[in-house]
Amino acid sequence: MADIYTQKWYEEVKNAINNKVADMKELPEGKWQIAIEIFGDGISPYVDQGNERHFLVAIDQGKCLWYKEIDPNSKDEGDKVKLDYRFRGSAVKFDEIAAGVLDPIDAALGGDIKVKGDMRFLLRQADQVQILLEAYSKDVKTDWPHGKPPY
Amino acid sequence: MKTEFDVIIIGAGHNGLTLGAYLSRSGLSVVVLEARHEEGGGLSTEELTYPGFLHNIHANYHTFVDLAPPVSDLKIREHGVKYVKPEVQMASIYDDNTALLIYDDLDKTVDSIARFSTKDAETFRRLYKEAHGYVDLLLGTLMFEPPMSVKELTKALSVFGVSDRSEFLSVKLRRETINQFLDEHFENPKVKAHLAFHGAVCGYGNNIPGLAIGFPLLIGKINNWHISIGGSHRLAHALWRDMANHGGILVTDAEVVSIVVDNKKAVGVKLADGVEISARKCVVSTVSVEQTFLEFLDKDKVVGNDGNKLLENEFIQKVKTEIKHQSWSLFSVHLAMKQPPNYLAAEFAEDVNKAWVVNLGYGSLEELNSDWDVISKNSLPDPRPNVAVNSLYDPTDAPDGFYTGLLRQFAPYEIGNDGPAAWDKLSKYYGQKCIDAWSRFAPNIGEDAVLKWTTYSPHDIAVKLPNMVKGDWMMGQIALSNMLDQRPLPELGQYRTPIESLYMAGSTQHPHGFITFAPAYNALSVIADDLGLDKWWREV
Repeated sequence: MADIYTQKWYEEVKNAINNKVADMKELPEGKWQIAIEIFGDGISPYVDQGNERHFLVAIDQGKCLWYKEIDPNSKDEGDKVKLDYRFRGSAVKFDEIAAGVLDPIDAALGGDIKVKGDMRFLLRQADQVQILLEAYSKDVKTDWPHGKPPY
Repeated sequence: MKTEFDVIIIGAGHNGLTLGAYLSRSGLSVVVLEARHEEGGGLSTEELTYPGFLHNIHANYHTFVDLAPPVSDLKIREHGVKYVKPEVQMASIYDDNTALLIYDDLDKTVDSIARFSTKDAETFRRLYKEAHGYVDLLLGTLMFEPPMSVKELTKALSVFGVSDRSEFLSVKLRRETINQFLDEHFENPKVKAHLAFHGAVCGYGNNIPGLAIGFPLLIGKINNWHISIGGSHRLAHALWRDMANHGGILVTDAEVVSIVVDNKKAVGVKLADGVEISARKCVVSTVSVEQTFLEFLDKDKVVGNDGNKLLENEFIQKVKTEIKHQSWSLFSVHLAMKQPPNYLAAEFAEDVNKAWVVNLGYGSLEELNSDWDVISKNSLPDPRPNVAVNSLYDPTDAPDGFYTGLLRQFAPYEIGNDGPAAWDKLSKYYGQKCIDAWSRFAPNIGEDAVLKWTTYSPHDIAVKLPNMVKGDWMMGQIALSNMLDQRPLPELGQYRTPIESLYMAGSTQHPHGFITFAPAYNALSVIADDLGLDKWWREV
């Protein structure tokens, strides 16, 4: 068990995704570079209000190759990467997804998590995407030292 | 004049200019050829009545402002376009002089609907909030990308269990009409009539099977209607300016008579004055399918090196027989006015006098359905026009103290057995009937209020803009069978054509007409793939 948004926690997310992928009969196609932008909302204790945490994630055929946290105020690192998708939302929504309280598809449909990028690719591979989302939202055991959503 | 460019674009409507601007910004040499004396196509603003009265002859409603990527990518506002979003976006006034109002403000809209049905008001709030949540996502997926197939979409909706998550989104909607959607979710006939009217003004007939699937999206942007200050044509200027700033050239009075094909590839065009212009990379048509393939290309002469005909008879036959057009058009009355309308319904809802777009009289789905039946028989319904007085929010579109008015009536392209030319005899009569219909709801509309008026019929649309075949202002029927990758034909559904380096990028293509910018934006993506261009505009 790891505290949310720690290195150890992300490592567990990566392993959960890759374990799922290892069992998949049909792998998602292509390489994706994804930015995840989490902004503090005054509710989640894990990202202060006014602050943001940004992560870059590289996926190749569904498998997480690497991830890293970048400085949201630095224009260098993030801008150098050619992104395929950007997911942006408040910390409480990302927390709720990780806690299994909020379904990621509901979050996207409800506009709580804004998604930028070519959605056709994700829709055409809906089966595979669904498995990856489940790994993120259901297969990682998380410690919630400052409280677990719903807050 | 220079006669060689990287890209030739036929037609300087908003799609042609949008594509020209993007490709010019990408470093290509671009020429846009326009048969008329000015750019704009449907973005046409003219002083039809008196000098100083600016009448939008075609596009009046700008509903994709800040939803369509070109508005920011091409810095439309920096090129002089100013939009205003009316506080009271739309209204329906019913025969009993009650009125339902759609405000920019959701709570006010819900309050207005609640005067007819509290249940419908809360249903509307839920529907709006849900649709508004995913409007970006759906627009980005379904409008501003080259289209997926219905089958692919249906499968994805099913895998993601969308039907289980939403009371308003369901796979079954692809078999339903907007009428059915409204009957399932709403109870009050007037509320249903207003929502159906809103769809119809957007080109979505309420009795067409399958269109229910697009209805939540229409609701999600129901309060995003904007006026272009100083007339819709300002947008055409802005697009041209952006293109010109990046080296693109617009040539007006340049009527294309043929597309030149060499070795299976479109390599240029010939103009009516005999000038030939060559294209190093591609030719793009933004005019109608019929003009492009039946007029500009001679199927017997368009052969490859191997002698095979590139436009097989089967394809040409499809162009002749399977291009689907809207079964109804619009009859317009443009007015120069001394007074704005003062509605009897203001006693019921004072703000109705501030409403920009007003439905006069449709109080039930049955009344709308009945008029569609009349129109489908090429007959004229008793007018229940819709009204837009832009001057309420744009004081620059008329001289100080005066107003510019627009009446629009759903109408057939042809009348009886006399064809479209019958409009030339009937327009004055029918225009007066439309004004009379307006004055029943606003008695001050008459000689006291109206200085001068003139008409613009479905026949006038087709004559002025031949790409709007049969007065079809959507440049193709809005029906599920003519949407996504099936529009306008499966062979053309991804903006490519049977001829190499010839693309289609006008409103004939997915998603449809209206000022969406989307056909050009999506064709751009395909052209960029084929030419290996960096998609700078797709910065995620």
